[in-house]
Amino acid sequence: MNEDYKQTYHEKYAREKQHGVKFFPDIIFKDMLVSFGIFVLLVGLAIFVGVANEPPADPSDSAYIPRPEWYFLFLFEMLKYFPGQIEWIGTAIIPGAAVVALFLLPFFDKNRSRHWSKRKFAIGFMSLAVLSMVVLTIMAVATTPPQEEVALASTLSEQITLGQDVYSVQCVECHGAEGEGGEIIGVEGLEGVVLDPINHSDIMYTYTDDTLYNIVEYGQPALGMPPLGLAYGGELSRGDITALVNFMRYTWDDRAELPAEAVAASAIPELKPGEVPSYEVHIATLSKRYCVSCHRPNKENNNYLMQSYEEIMTSGDNAPNLIAGDLGSNLIRMLHREEIEAGGPMPPTKELKPEYIEIWERWVMGGMPNTAAEAAAVSTTTTESAPTAPAASQTP
Amino acid sequence: MEKLYTWLDERLGLKTIYDVVLDRKVPKVNWFYTLGSASLFLFVIQAVTGIFLTVYYVPSPDHAYDSIQFIMNGVAFGWLIRGIHHWGATLMVLVVFFHMLRTFYFASYKYPRELTWLTGVLLLFLTLGMGFTGYLLPWNQRAYWATTVGTEIPGTVPIIGPWITSFLRGGPDLSAVTLARFFSLHIWWLPAGIVLLISVHMYLIIRLGISSLPKKDD
Repeated sequence: MNEDYKQTYHEKYAREKQHGVKFFPDIIFKDMLVSFGIFVLLVGLAIFVGVANEPPADPSDSAYIPRPEWYFLFLFEMLKYFPGQIEWIGTAIIPGAAVVALFLLPFFDKNRSRHWSKRKFAIGFMSLAVLSMVVLTIMAVATTPPQEEVALASTLSEQITLGQDVYSVQCVECHGAEGEGGEIIGVEGLEGVVLDPINHSDIMYTYTDDTLYNIVEYGQPALGMPPLGLAYGGELSRGDITALVNFMRYTWDDRAELPAEAVAASAIPELKPGEVPSYEVHIATLSKRYCVSCHRPNKENNNYLMQSYEEIMTSGDNAPNLIAGDLGSNLIRMLHREEIEAGGPMPPTKELKPEYIEIWERWVMGGMPNTAAEAAAVSTTTTESAPTAPAASQTP
Repeated sequence: MEKLYTWLDERLGLKTIYDVVLDRKVPKVNWFYTLGSASLFLFVIQAVTGIFLTVYYVPSPDHAYDSIQFIMNGVAFGWLIRGIHHWGATLMVLVVFFHMLRTFYFASYKYPRELTWLTGVLLLFLTLGMGFTGYLLPWNQRAYWATTVGTEIPGTVPIIGPWITSFLRGGPDLSAVTLARFFSLHIWWLPAGIVLLISVHMYLIIRLGISSLPKKDD
């Protein structure tokens, strides 16, 4: 770099400055305008988009698909082209070369011209690099499979509601719908075992949350309780177990007060005279709490699954178990504890409360509507919007 | 008032600061030249919201997740502060990157601004480092597994790779140690480096003036 070049540059720059503007207020004004725009954008994003809630870290859940922050995606995508033995070309050589090149750019770029028309190679090269980063990012987004939806609970009430669901599916078979225990019926290997209740103060006062958590995660194999944690062959993630423990604590510990929100969320809406219940509002909650524990895949249930409207209506070896308008349907007779060809009394250990059996009956008589809207259409009362009064029944 | 100003000016040199920093002539430039100040603004936003977040955040695997749930649901406007910090991170990476592209396309890195470019590139990588370390702190599934994979990658580098991985993690696996050192990097080491480099960067900009738009004969 010779002195002439430097001098010409400084002369030119001095001329530019003369024709220029004052840093304050001209430049500062533009800067502040842009910064203010960014601030408004950020507040808008925080309010209207927010931050997606995620389940807590769970090292035992290896099924989780790792997703780096989006601006690193292009790097991950690039690595796919360097499998096995040559992986280090993608992880070390290329990024390393790019970093060094970017650093030393002013020292190896000997082109003195500044206008783009005289820097076609540099401009082209950089544009190509940026373009490939964009393309790789798009490819990464397009090829990453969507994450499986996980039940998430952030507030205490949501935790308790989620815990209730977990309890209904994982624990009811042995411990009963309300933790009352009793003789186990229909569970392989534990048939006839009599369990002490777990819903009273002896347990709740002496077991800390950590103890409850550990019992659920590790099980108590010597007593016949299997481990439920993902890491030990069960189905529950850490978030699920935490929710379950919160549910037990706030429902059964008489020192803890169940938040009103949680009561409302788990309540089954009361029926007005003439109102027809629907699957989505009433039956889904009932079946989830009292039936799904056994009536899901890989359980002894004559292949009658009850996890969705479709399944309840059509599945099972003795299908149809429900016939619209027929109170002699298998399911209704079994709820009334009859021993019939399709099976014995349901639920096996403890009769369903009469008001719940009535909901089932009125649903069958009403033609078994799926959605609340369909149910309202066949109801004979003037049903105002969704019924919100929590049922006097069931404080779980 | 007048007296107070004279007293302060005599000791602080306010007039000199005004003359040198604010009341200087600069070439006419376009809107792309606001990206630098936008980067600085975003850094300040991130610093302020970050400082607020440390009031409630607990950097331990047992409490990190719950402390963030509390910030989101229990602390007044905690969701807003975290929302801004979350989106500010994304935006800062974008704006700093575009600032680098602007500098490149307008040839601003050439004589006499080589050192400004050098510190700028360092700042770009420190910003990415902030993104990488900050991503782990919520200690949720996304954070945990992204960092597991992210720290595995340098492990493929021949010879020193495994050493880098175990240095980043503070052991063979992600643990409380990893979270502690990412937290330390995120709130002390990297911001300290950024503040230092921004100072040098700004000094150079004031000393050399902002570059002019290249003309056809440049």
